[in-house]
Amino acid sequence: MSLFKTREWWSTSVGEAEEFDNGCLCVANIDNESSGSDKVILGSYQGILRVYNPRPQKTESGWSGYSPEDVVLEQAFQQPILQVEAGKFSSGSENLVLAILHPRKLSVYSISAIAGSVAHGSQYKCEGLYEHNLQRTVHKFCYGPFGGVKGKDFICVQSMDGTISIFEQESFAFSRFLPGALLPGPIKYVPRLDSFVTVSSAWRVECYKYQVLAVASDSGGKDETQNIRSGKRVTFDWSFDIGEQGMDIAVIAFPQAPASILILGERSICCLTETGKLRYMKKLGYDPSCLLPYASLSEGTINYIVATHTNSLLIYQDVTLKWAAKTEFTPVQCQVANFKELNGVIVMLNDTGRLECVYLGTDPAIFVPPHVESRELNYAKMDAEMAQLQKRIKEKGQKAVIAPNRKPEEDLQVNIHVSPNLDEMSMATGVEIPEEDSVPSIQLRIQVKARMLIDNIKLEVHAPWPLATNRSDYSIPSVEPNTPAELFVSIFQRGNSLPAHLYVQISASYQSATGGSRITTLRAALPAKLVIQPVLPVKSALHKLTIDTNKPPISLNDIFPDMLGENAGGQGAALGFQFFGGPVVTVLASKTSQRYRLQCDRLEAMWIPLKELVSRLNQHFNRGKYGDFRASFDGSLPLQEYYELVDSHFECRLGATKCSEMLAQRASQFRVIERRLLTRFKDKTPTPLQNLDTLLEGTFRQILALGDAVEQNQMAEAVAANNLSCGTYLLNFLIRLWTDMTDEEFKVLENAVSPVVSESAEQGWQEMTDAAVTHLLRTVLAKSAKDAAVNPSPLSIPSDTGKVKKHIALLCDRLGKGARLMDGLAEKKERTIKLPTPKTISEEADTELSEESNAVDNVISPNFRSEKSRKKKRGVVRAVEELAPLGLPMMDKPTADKSRRRGLGELSEAKNQKIRSMVPDLDDMSGGGDEENHIANGDS
Amino acid sequence: MDPLFLAYSYFRRRKFKESADICTKLLEKNPYDQAAWTLKTRALTGQVYVDEVDVDEEGIAEMLMDDNAIANVSRPGTSLRKPGTSSQGGPSQGVRPTSQSGRPLSGFVRPGTQGGRPGTMEQAIRTPRTAHTARPVTSSSGRFVRLGTASMLSTPDGPFINLARLNFSKYAARPNLAKALFEYIFHHENDIRNALELAALATEANQYKDWWWKVQLAKCYYRLGMYRDAETQLKSAIKQQEMVDTFLHLGKVYVRLDQPLTAVETYKQGLEKFPGETTLLTGMARIYEGLTEMDNAVKLYKDVLHFDNMHVEAVACIATHHFYTDQPEVALKFYRRLLQMGVYNAELFNNLGLCCFYAQQYDMTLTCFERALSLADEATVSDVWFNLGHLALGICDHNLAYQCFRLALSNNNDHAEAYNNLGVLELKRGHVEAARAFFQAAFVIAPHMYEPHYNFAALADQLGDLQSSYVSARRAVENYPNHTDSQELLKQLRQHFSLL
Repeated sequence: MSLFKTREWWSTSVGEAEEFDNGCLCVANIDNESSGSDKVILGSYQGILRVYNPRPQKTESGWSGYSPEDVVLEQAFQQPILQVEAGKFSSGSENLVLAILHPRKLSVYSISAIAGSVAHGSQYKCEGLYEHNLQRTVHKFCYGPFGGVKGKDFICVQSMDGTISIFEQESFAFSRFLPGALLPGPIKYVPRLDSFVTVSSAWRVECYKYQVLAVASDSGGKDETQNIRSGKRVTFDWSFDIGEQGMDIAVIAFPQAPASILILGERSICCLTETGKLRYMKKLGYDPSCLLPYASLSEGTINYIVATHTNSLLIYQDVTLKWAAKTEFTPVQCQVANFKELNGVIVMLNDTGRLECVYLGTDPAIFVPPHVESRELNYAKMDAEMAQLQKRIKEKGQKAVIAPNRKPEEDLQVNIHVSPNLDEMSMATGVEIPEEDSVPSIQLRIQVKARMLIDNIKLEVHAPWPLATNRSDYSIPSVEPNTPAELFVSIFQRGNSLPAHLYVQISASYQSATGGSRITTLRAALPAKLVIQPVLPVKSALHKLTIDTNKPPISLNDIFPDMLGENAGGQGAALGFQFFGGPVVTVLASKTSQRYRLQCDRLEAMWIPLKELVSRLNQHFNRGKYGDFRASFDGSLPLQEYYELVDSHFECRLGATKCSEMLAQRASQFRVIERRLLTRFKDKTPTPLQNLDTLLEGTFRQILALGDAVEQNQMAEAVAANNLSCGTYLLNFLIRLWTDMTDEEFKVLENAVSPVVSESAEQGWQEMTDAAVTHLLRTVLAKSAKDAAVNPSPLSIPSDTGKVKKHIALLCDRLGKGARLMDGLAEKKERTIKLPTPKTISEEADTELSEESNAVDNVISPNFRSEKSRKKKRGVVRAVEELAPLGLPMMDKPTADKSRRRGLGELSEAKNQKIRSMVPDLDDMSGGGDEENHIANGDS
Repeated sequence: MDPLFLAYSYFRRRKFKESADICTKLLEKNPYDQAAWTLKTRALTGQVYVDEVDVDEEGIAEMLMDDNAIANVSRPGTSLRKPGTSSQGGPSQGVRPTSQSGRPLSGFVRPGTQGGRPGTMEQAIRTPRTAHTARPVTSSSGRFVRLGTASMLSTPDGPFINLARLNFSKYAARPNLAKALFEYIFHHENDIRNALELAALATEANQYKDWWWKVQLAKCYYRLGMYRDAETQLKSAIKQQEMVDTFLHLGKVYVRLDQPLTAVETYKQGLEKFPGETTLLTGMARIYEGLTEMDNAVKLYKDVLHFDNMHVEAVACIATHHFYTDQPEVALKFYRRLLQMGVYNAELFNNLGLCCFYAQQYDMTLTCFERALSLADEATVSDVWFNLGHLALGICDHNLAYQCFRLALSNNNDHAEAYNNLGVLELKRGHVEAARAFFQAAFVIAPHMYEPHYNFAALADQLGDLQSSYVSARRAVENYPNHTDSQELLKQLRQHFSLL
């Protein structure tokens, strides 16, 4: 992050595929030119030494940059160059000479210029003065007037194992181990203290006096060798723990600034006094790469440059950021040099050999944002386009749901062929019906055709519970246009419940050629014989439904030829069908009148046989030509029985909410106990647990038991939902026959009183149906303006089912009186402003409640009412039976038995009792709890 | 060239992978090479290193099971849990929107600025709208695990160091190995328990004299949720040697203990020793921001800029403050500075666009938003459209506003503010039912906003549904006690009820 960038004065790329690191750059007047201008000296890990003398010319278009004449010297060495430094290493003169560090050698060269006599300038020469072979692999070296010698620089070489060797110019002085060295840190010589400062592997700044190092010898000053194996332990003068690895050290000796030592760590910069006290430190928010103090511009402060791995050059005065400039690369080392043309140039080098001499300036760090794609502005055209778009938006905006347009032809076609016969060998597995040994299965052949090559098709076969498939999802790697893929899947009944309908849904998802993901869905109807089997008819049953037709009766043998079973050869007046693990439905055909009757002990079970009967009759009579066969229903609607289904499903839902409430309460209790226990365990002084652990375990068991209860309740709810779904299908079908509805009206009815009973915690069937029916009642079926004003109730679980029952009864009543559902559709569109006009004028403005009793009386014939009381009891009992698994652990059998004949009021109490009884007896566990108590105390 | 030297050079140049590879080869040759071993631990640590001070992931379990708070009912202005109780009134909620926890929106997204401290599990699980990922259940899952599993990637044949077989007491006694090893265990392996054991043994081996080990102990305790122990260690470390990191960690511990004022004191103490340390100043400013003492926060952010004028967080927070205190021109300057510094993202252009609009520089407004839209990703594009909708409202183009809000919703159907505004627009068009549905959707998604509650209450009041009106008005006042309109509506309703 910076406002400005560095300005380039001179730059070049050095070498090809050469590597450089900190130490490879040195700036000095190495040829001892009289003008004193600096040269740039570079040594690479590939062993090439280069000396540059940048002399760019100022032209009209800025500085001329690099020219080949700027290269002063280039020389290749056999060994890598690790570090180059200029100093007074020559014993003969006080001139600057160059010291080059190779992995196992230290050499000193003098570089001198010989003035040329011709135009191409002077010639430079590199002469070796002396060299030392080293015993250990080196890391870095530092130099200085060790021991206070005047006008000379001695060299201290640090090796990779932390040994330092001192060379007094041509002669070797001594080698010493630094204590605790593992990896070498940066090392520098402080002339004022005559000491070395380094950062050790223990992440500590340590200062060693030269004198101490010099005298700490085993052999008493005689025959010092580089090849030492042991040594006296030297102690540091002072140390300071910086808590991180040092990357670089700089010794500050500016006249204005207090003498201090700057240490660049990986995450901060520390400034220490020469006696090892912290002056200040600065935490860095970036990765630094190198440090260079360059001046002290005001009294008592130090100015330094930090280059970062985020490509910026930051200039600090103590801890205050003074300037930030963006660089093109991450420098490994930077120096400040004075050239003939320009003083104070920053020389930077990166690890691939990009060498730049730059200065700071107010060139903005130009970041050119990419152009936003903009069109040629043509206002007339734009206006036209805008108007068109607005029009389309307006059109679309009318429809609340924007339905995607279906393409005329899908890329993928799925065909399903349901085999006409049941499988010879049943494929059913995992059947949960206790009464049946084996259930039949039926095979579906799914053919997937593609218009073009389509890859990676996911095919899913969804059979609604209790039906199941032997495999539900397939993935087809690819389908080619001419070779359709074929799959086989078997469907069978697995769960012990009545199926709500006999459709399986098959969906294939794939990526179309345009890249959009598309889904093709298909429904396949299954034959009824998959779930029912022929049995002998049963004479009497609780519920009877009679269907009238306008054609003479026909033998049932003719219309159910494939489902005769044991009745084959009978007269065809009565057939019995039994659901697997379910009740028997008997179909009777009247011999004289044009009627058919279905009878069964359970209302909802009649749905599938009834549908089968009517559709087969339809097929039989309307075959070939346009037939005029019609079935109708004249009896009273079995609303009371239907209400029982609604109630039992509702009971299950209530049970589910109760269970989840209980579960939430127990879970929060569990958390509270955990919290308390945690506090106790964390406490320094041990305190008794006060049976909290017992409580914890008890609560845990309760939660587990409640979890089981929830699961069982879910199962019961699924069964109840299926029953309700069957019942709703049946009711709708009967209403249709009863009022002779058109298909469109029937669609409206099915949408309102939906046979789809989904299990959802948020919105259940009861409130959704209630809302939908209320909507119908206050719109198309409204009698008076008052009806239309009724506010819809919120979509939350109601306290009882009274309302929805009342509204369904009202709906049936109005439909029975001849109200039509169809006109509503046309009216609905204009509804927003205009109030719907009531279609029939109500005879009296009675309250809804009285209407309800009327409605029920009208719909339910008297003989039903006589049965009402008996039925009610039965309904309750069933509810209890289905709810019995509600959180009942095994030991509670006796109470479960007792509750069989209890009323509704007692039910909740019984349930609570059971849930309470799930708490394990605390007395039983107290012994164990005490023991744990002791252990806990012992531990802490 | 010596391979170890090369590895060390790579390490210095932040080429951790190359460095670790060379060390692996060296260790294959000589498994007992301590230098290579240390270098490899440090290279592996460097790959995943994140400064512990910046890590502030608070999981759901930590927030709910937190039993470190001193008082559940704290005195006004002394707790981060109940922001807005301080005596210096922060910005009004009507002007500056608040986050889910009731703090004003910050100008800079940090970990922890979005969630806050919820009271219940349900509230905790609810994802803040701008976060877009669910909060981790505990901080030992979540991002730390992802950091921890980094080790598996780099070493396919198992972890580099088998911690279970390490003799910690042996390593603890070797100061030159132990520190690198600790950082490796803490950052790379993310094994806090073992790190704690090593730190405890090392502290002992150093005769309880090394401040560094005490800070590391505190870091481990902090991660384990033992804040009081961490506090003791940090205080002891400060007594030994004052370092910036120690103060930062201590401040963080106090924030976690919900003692913002003590944390501020700690930072102040640190600033006495290290004047101008920007991290300390920022820490203080963040706490003041959390306490809704905006004046103090902005003052501190300005101090930060004095010492580091490239501090993005400070610039952004000051800009946001100016924007919400009705000085869009000043905010514009700050945001422009961010742009010049190289920040280039949709959020910035969005803010620039808004500032331009309110500073009446209409020519720039649309260009800025155009750029914001072209830069926006899925997470931000809905916010940009929402702001464009505001702009359209400002120039009275209701149609455009309506379409903008719809676009905001089509990109993110949880955008409660857009629902609320759509509701208002629908109400203006006379579609009462639609308006009601939109308001309902808005306050279901974001129960912490007062606007949809009030709007719903006002609408219900007009329709004569006094009960719902009363309930919603109460919720609005709960969320924003100083909202005059809600209060008046409530008063009116109360009067009405008492008359009945």
